[in-house]
Amino acid sequence: MKRFLLALLFCLGLGWAIASFDGLASQGTYDSLVLDFREDIAPAEVERAIGAIADEYGLAPRFNSEFSAADNVYIVRGDAALLDTLRQELRDVTEFVEPNYVYSIPEISAVGLDGGGRGKDSGPTVPNDPLYAKQWNFKAIGVEQAWLDSNGGGVTVAVIDTGVSPVPDLKETELADGYDFVNDRPDATDDNGHGTHVAGTIAQSTNNGYGVAGIAHGATIMPLKVLGKGGGGTVADIAEAIRFAADNGADVINMSLGGGGESSLMKEAIEHAHSQGVVVIAAAGNANQNSAGYPARYERVVGVSAVDSTGAKAPYSNFGAGVDIAAPGGNTKESQIGGILQNTIDAKGESVFASLQGTSMAAPHVAGVAALVKAAGIDDPDEIREIVLQSALEPSDDPLNHFGAGKLDAAAAVKLAIDGQITPRDFARWLRDNGYLNPKFWIDGGVVALPMKLAMVIGGYLLAWLLRVYFPFRWSWPLATGIVMGSSGLFFLRGFYIFDLPQWPLRVAGSSIPELGTAVQGSAALNPIFASVLIPAGLLVLLLGHRNLKWWAIGSLLGVSACLAVSAVADPELLWLGKGFVARGFLGLNALLCFGLAKLSLRPSET
Amino acid sequence: MADTKTLTGKIEYVSMGTGAWALVSDGVTYEIYNGEPSAIQQEGATVQVVGKIRDDVMSLAAIGPILEVVSFEIVE
Repeated sequence: MKRFLLALLFCLGLGWAIASFDGLASQGTYDSLVLDFREDIAPAEVERAIGAIADEYGLAPRFNSEFSAADNVYIVRGDAALLDTLRQELRDVTEFVEPNYVYSIPEISAVGLDGGGRGKDSGPTVPNDPLYAKQWNFKAIGVEQAWLDSNGGGVTVAVIDTGVSPVPDLKETELADGYDFVNDRPDATDDNGHGTHVAGTIAQSTNNGYGVAGIAHGATIMPLKVLGKGGGGTVADIAEAIRFAADNGADVINMSLGGGGESSLMKEAIEHAHSQGVVVIAAAGNANQNSAGYPARYERVVGVSAVDSTGAKAPYSNFGAGVDIAAPGGNTKESQIGGILQNTIDAKGESVFASLQGTSMAAPHVAGVAALVKAAGIDDPDEIREIVLQSALEPSDDPLNHFGAGKLDAAAAVKLAIDGQITPRDFARWLRDNGYLNPKFWIDGGVVALPMKLAMVIGGYLLAWLLRVYFPFRWSWPLATGIVMGSSGLFFLRGFYIFDLPQWPLRVAGSSIPELGTAVQGSAALNPIFASVLIPAGLLVLLLGHRNLKWWAIGSLLGVSACLAVSAVADPELLWLGKGFVARGFLGLNALLCFGLAKLSLRPSET
Repeated sequence: MADTKTLTGKIEYVSMGTGAWALVSDGVTYEIYNGEPSAIQQEGATVQVVGKIRDDVMSLAAIGPILEVVSFEIVE
C-alpha cells in the first residue's frame, strides 16, 4: 500500500512537472508572425490566400527581405491569437506559421557603473572615462571585478580634509551637506586641492565619458573641512568633524591627515563614531618611520600604509605598529605616472587632473572599498573592517609590518561580503588567528616563526636531558637561562613595537646568540660568525672556572646547538653562504661542535 | 601649549599630497604649520627658527612634528 502511494505521488509530481513545462520557446517575445507558404503550389494561389487574410484581418503581409520571395516567406504583425487562427486557416497552403521571435543579447547590467548598490554578474566592467587607463592603482586593487557587484550606492563617506570643490568630474557625484570647521560655515569648498583629490579617489563621477573614475562612485561624499589652505588644522576641529559625520549619517570616515599627539578629545570622537556604526579610515603618515601617526594609531581606526605601482612599500610611508592594511599611494619621485590621478583644483582654484602621492592617497582607496562592502550588504563596522582586512592580499614576508594584513583587494573584499563567508564562527576564528585575540598579534607572527622558536628551546632542553642521562648534573637557573639565550632568545620581544622608539634594540634583546649578528639590520639570514660554535665556546673558556656561571655557558652551548640544528633542517639561510647545502652543512657541523663541547665540559664536573 | 624652541636647519618643499614646507634640522623633518609665514618658503635656505611644536595640530602631509614658526631668520 505504502509503495502504491509513493508511486502515485511520483506520477503526480512527474505529471505536474510536464504540465508546467512551457518549452524553451515560451520564454521568447514576438509581435509578428512568419508565414512560410508551400513552394509546390501556384503563385496565384499564394496571392489569393494572402489577399484573403489581408482583407479578413486587416493585415499587410510583406516579404521578410528581398531573399524571402523565392521561399514564399511572409511576415505579418500579430499575436498568439492570430497565430492560432492563421495556423487553422492556412493549414493547406503553408509549410508552417510560427512566431517571429525577437532574439537579443541579454542586457548587461553593469550596475557598478550605472547605479544601484548591488548588481548582477556580467564580466569585468571598464568605464568609458578617457583617463581611466592611467589609473594603474584601480587595476592594482581589482576594482573592475568589484564593480560587478557594488558601486557604493546608498553609502555616505565623510571626507575630513581641506574641503571638497565641485570640480567637473564630481558633477554626477552626490554631495551631502557638510561643514567648514576652519571658517565655521556650512560651505565646505576646498581651497587647497587635497580634499577634492581624496574625494575623487572615493567617488569621482565614473562612466561619464570624462576624466577619471572613482572607486565607490555610487556613494555620497560628505565634505568636512578641517584643514586650512596651508594644509594644517587643529585636533579640536577634526574631533568635531568626526562627531558631525557620525551624527549626520556618514557610514565611512576618511582622514587623510596625521600628526600631533594622542588626544582624548579625538579618541572619544572616534569611539562615538564607532558606536554609531561608522568605519573610520586614516593615513599612516609620510615620515617613513616605524609606527603610524595619529589618528591612524587609534585602535578603532584602520591605518593605511602606501605602496607604489610595483606593489612595494612607498619610500615615504610609515610602517610598523598601527598599520592595518596597505593600498596604492603612488610615488611621483621619478615621474607623475607613478602617482594617483584624480580631478581636483590647482593653486588658482581651477579644475586640474593632478597626480599626487602619499598615504593620503592610499587611505581613500580603503575608504572606497569599505563603501563598496557596505553597499554589498554588510552593516556592522567591525565586520566591514574585518572583511576589508581579511580579503587583503597577504604578503609572503613582512618582518617590519609594511603592509599590515596585506594589500587592499577590492574584488576579494566585495566577493567575501557577498558570499557571506563571514559567519560569527569564521569571524572569531579569524580574529583569533590574525587579530587581537591571539598572542601571535603581540609577538607578531611575521617577525617570529613561533614553531621554530619552540623547537629550538625544546631541542635545547632535550639535549640537556640527553647529556644528563650520561653525566648526572643538577638543573639550575644559569643552565636554563643559558639554553634559552642560546636557542631562541627572548624572542617575543622582537615583535614588540613601542611607539616612537627605534625597534632594533628590541630585536637585539629578543635575539638568541646565533641571531645577534643580523638583529640590528632586521635580516632573516643568520651571520655565520654568530651562528657558530665561536661565541658559546668563548663563553665556556671565560666562565669555566666559575662554579655557577659555568652552567650558563654550558646551557648556551646546548641552546645554540639546538638552534643551529633546527635552522639547518628547517631554514638554513646564512649571510655570504646562502641557503643551500653549504649553509646546511655549516649549521649542522657547528651544532655538533656545540653539543660535543658541552659534553666534554661536563666530564670534569663528574670527576 | 609647548614652549618655544630654536632650531636651525634647511627649508625644503616636500611633495606629499598637495605638498608642504619643511624644516630639516639635525635629521628631523619638521612640517612648517600651514607653510607660514610665506616668506619662509625658500627652498634650500638655511634658517634659524624660533617656534613651537604643535601637538594639537594635524596636517595632510603628515611628514613629522608640526612646527609653528614664531620668528625666523635666514642664516644663508
